[in-house]
Amino acid sequence: MTLFGLCKTMAELTADLFLVPLFNFQRNIFPPFSYPAGDLADWFASEGGIVTLAWVYAVNIAFAVGMTNLILVIHLERKIAARIQDRRGPMLSLRAFRELGEDLAGEAPTWRFKGNYSGIGIIQNMADGIKAITKELIIPNKADKFLFSMGPIIFISSSVFLLVLFPLSDRFAASAAPAGLMVIMAAFSIAPIGVLTSGWASNNKYSMIGGMRSAAQLMSYEIPLLLSMAGVFLLAGSYNPVDIVEQQREATWLFGLPMWNFIPQFIGFIVFMICILAEVERVPFDLPEAEAELVEGWTTEYSGIRYMLFLAAEYIRGFAGAAVATILFLGGWAGPWPVPPEIWFLLKVYLIIIFWIFIRWTVPRIRTDQILELGWKKLLPLSLINILIVIFMVEIYPYFADIISLPEVF
Amino acid sequence: MAEMWISMGPQHPMTHGLWTLKVKVDGETITDADPELGYLHRSVEKMGERRKYFMNTTLTDRLCYASSTTWTHNYVLSVEELMNVEVPTRAQYIRTIMLEIQRLASHLMWAGAYMPDLGHITGALYFWRDRELFLNLLELPSGSRLLYNYIRIGGVKRDLPDGFEQKTERILSLFEQRLDEYADLFENSKIFRMRTEDVGKFTASQAMNMGITGPNLRGCGVKHDLRVEDTYEIYEEVDWNVSTREAGPGYSDCFSRYMVRIDEMRESVKIIRDCFKKMPKGPTMSSRVPVRASGEAFRRTEDSRGEALMYLVGDGSDRPYRWKIKSPMFTTISACPHYLKGYKVADIPAIMGSIDICIGETDK
Repeated sequence: MTLFGLCKTMAELTADLFLVPLFNFQRNIFPPFSYPAGDLADWFASEGGIVTLAWVYAVNIAFAVGMTNLILVIHLERKIAARIQDRRGPMLSLRAFRELGEDLAGEAPTWRFKGNYSGIGIIQNMADGIKAITKELIIPNKADKFLFSMGPIIFISSSVFLLVLFPLSDRFAASAAPAGLMVIMAAFSIAPIGVLTSGWASNNKYSMIGGMRSAAQLMSYEIPLLLSMAGVFLLAGSYNPVDIVEQQREATWLFGLPMWNFIPQFIGFIVFMICILAEVERVPFDLPEAEAELVEGWTTEYSGIRYMLFLAAEYIRGFAGAAVATILFLGGWAGPWPVPPEIWFLLKVYLIIIFWIFIRWTVPRIRTDQILELGWKKLLPLSLINILIVIFMVEIYPYFADIISLPEVF
Repeated sequence: MAEMWISMGPQHPMTHGLWTLKVKVDGETITDADPELGYLHRSVEKMGERRKYFMNTTLTDRLCYASSTTWTHNYVLSVEELMNVEVPTRAQYIRTIMLEIQRLASHLMWAGAYMPDLGHITGALYFWRDRELFLNLLELPSGSRLLYNYIRIGGVKRDLPDGFEQKTERILSLFEQRLDEYADLFENSKIFRMRTEDVGKFTASQAMNMGITGPNLRGCGVKHDLRVEDTYEIYEEVDWNVSTREAGPGYSDCFSRYMVRIDEMRESVKIIRDCFKKMPKGPTMSSRVPVRASGEAFRRTEDSRGEALMYLVGDGSDRPYRWKIKSPMFTTISACPHYLKGYKVADIPAIMGSIDICIGETDK
């Protein structure tokens, strides 16, 4: 059963048991004013209403799954960073709640620190959220107020949009667009507009430089990124994530081992991993918010929930970037049987994210001119070489294999 | 993009203290710079003229929060010259040990502050973790963790506690292991070298003209160290070398200045070990310490950041008539337009971090 099938069943149940009787009841008690209610009742009884409702459910489920993963990713980043730095990271034990309760009730605290003190530090995320919501939203005096509010909306909405675009498996997908990966990359490249808008509207020199840097970086890394993806599209002959993963699942190598795309297109994989790291602006490519020289870069003037949502949006982009890398190069949800494909997919995504976290806490940040030089002079030629390799595999070798009967390798 | 002035400071992550650096940028390239100091001026010299000689060690402790013992030591040396006080040999050894532990703590604080400038948060925590070890060591004889007031006129406050040598040795061997470990993380790392090499260059002659001293000058390959040139305490008797580095023939960059401090930390470890080996028994305080003094005295010592200098005039009373402090960082920061021009905005923290700023002693 697919996610959409499940959602459709749920939508039918909701419509039959709740929505249609409700609107019919409304039509019956106020007959003269019943047109909207009556029309809604008819619509929910029809196929169009059911399908629309099913899509709403599917998108919400995908969104909820993505946001849950977001919390896990943030917690993972904190804990791994802490372990790398010889710290413990966010920790909160249930015992601490009891002690807090005792304290609030006016009893003497017991302060018995015994036993297992590890706990549920993930609640720290909730504390951060509550803190961010209760902070004041400051708009600088001379800022462009309209654009200052529009910047976060563009950036955050385009990032949240990413969550519903990639499938977790062929059955668990909120969107199954034929050009799915192109849509994902298009959503990825909306963000620089938001970044530039917020950087410019803040009326702050640091913000402006940060916005400029971000625009330059995202534009120059978009090209090798898409070129390195082009190899995968050529090999699969499709933009659809499901087709790309199916092609990788079927391709075999020596001894029948699966040949996921990162083996034949190793160069493309390396280029893609570097470029997606720059695309989601993580260390060592987090120049737009280089806190040493630009305070907080283009987010300097933002406060409260806006700033928090900027941070959250960056993690969402990171999660989506890792998901795209998994679909393109690591075989997506392909994996041995007993583990369900969704879990395989998430395992691979988390592998990439953990790799990024390790990078983030072990290397310094590089400079703007160096990052542009790397992008244009090294990654762009490498991605072209990768395309040549794929063209050889897909077109040239089979052509000659037909003529002089070479063994079928690819 | 048109040229514009950016004001970095007084509240800015780059500044490591309270000062302002105004830079004129053309796009991302620096075309001019203008440092502004004086936010932290506490008129230490004038305050000192109203206090008795032995009271001023509390003020000199507060000159630099990262390296307080070296400044107190400089003051104490000048007062001892003014009063002609003989210091017992054991006290000199203890002073040398404390100075070198303080130098280690100061350099570690610098290294920890330098890493976030380059975007490397983990480095900060690693180096500050090691600094804690040396702060623990300094706490043992002096009783406090930041402002020690341990070196006094005529000797030191009290003798080293029992087991100090064993504890120091344990910490030093752990620290040496960790320095080797960090080599892979920092100086052998490609990105670290990309950020620090060929950045913030100045030649040895430029440095001497601009009055840059200390590790920043030794990073140009100049073998100038006041512990040798104008020796004090027992640095002559101990086995150690002046460490120098150079990025190229006769000039330094951020990487050579980083490396010279790492080398100095290894040398400090050697000095401390040798001091413990050669330390005699005996008193730690001079039997005769006068209260009044007259005449002039002038001493310079090798502070963690360069050449520290103090000039004292006594008029026969128990308070100094004039007290003048020369800070190494004041000249180094003032010279920053010379070595900032032509680099990128992202290089500002890398360059200004590499010269090891301490605003407390700069503004006095």
